[in-house]
Amino acid sequence: MALIADPDEDLVRRVGQGDSAAIQAMVARKLPRMLALAQRMLGDAVEAEDVAQEALLRAWKQAPRWQPGKAKFDTWLHRVGLNLCYDRLRRRREIATDMPPERPDEGAAPDRGLLAADVGRRVDAALARLPERQREAIVLCHYQELTNIEAAALMEVSVEALESLLSRGRRALRLALADMRPDAEGV
Amino acid sequence: MTAERFLALIAAYGADARRWPVDERAAAEAFMAAQPEAARAALAEADAVDALLHASATPRVSMALRDRVIASASEAGLKARREGRRWLDRLALALGAGWAVAACAGVIAGVFMTSHFTADAQADAVLYQASLLGVDDTEVLG
Repeated sequence: MALIADPDEDLVRRVGQGDSAAIQAMVARKLPRMLALAQRMLGDAVEAEDVAQEALLRAWKQAPRWQPGKAKFDTWLHRVGLNLCYDRLRRRREIATDMPPERPDEGAAPDRGLLAADVGRRVDAALARLPERQREAIVLCHYQELTNIEAAALMEVSVEALESLLSRGRRALRLALADMRPDAEGV
Repeated sequence: MTAERFLALIAAYGADARRWPVDERAAAEAFMAAQPEAARAALAEADAVDALLHASATPRVSMALRDRVIASASEAGLKARREGRRWLDRLALALGAGWAVAACAGVIAGVFMTSHFTADAQADAVLYQASLLGVDDTEVLG
């Protein structure tokens, strides 16, 4: 098996040796990525912080015994982060009552300007309403900027299936946010 | 690349060529150049969705979270060690080794010099004893 080039290899080695500068560099490099992943997967800031912290804790435990060349550390960390998100999403489903939490579509309102924060909130709400796998595909490919092969491997699907999820997810977002398009009436 | 594949590619990955699969990027760009009319509408549609996706704010890491995560490294068993301190340790080790070598050299030199001076002293003592014996003999012989 060919060795995998990993841009994090040296950093992980130094973290495993307890180098405090490397630990801080790892936090600067990976914590924002894990937080963004969890935030967009879970749509909850508090839970996202918990997941990001737990993912990095597992990274600290893994670093001393990390074997370079077998996998990219970033991909492994995404696997950890995704599994933590899956656990929480599964727990939510288990405790879901007959009345699922409301995620109202704010829709277009004539008195709402096109402030970036407003647009962002509407996009986040639309993302949260996507089917889980479509949201995951978009989060991994668009926001986390993983390659299609990495994302497909993490989701344990073929690249073709990943592309199908991406297409359906993007189409659903386009329809949900149709009123926000520049060419939409009244915007 | 066929028009069908190009449209599927754009529908999945969006309008930004940097997000397209590496192994298909060149072919897709060639298709765009060859058939710009066929590509234009799909690209505009995908670009609009990309713009919406970009509007989602990336969450910011709070200082409190950052501090908790850094603190968790030592809790996980990673011994905090400063890179600068490691160089200091190495310097201290080198200096210590230097002092040890110097001390050994001093001991060896001391032993050598002691035996050298002792030999001289012993020779002097023998000569002195001999001179004393010489005086005694003169006295006895008259």
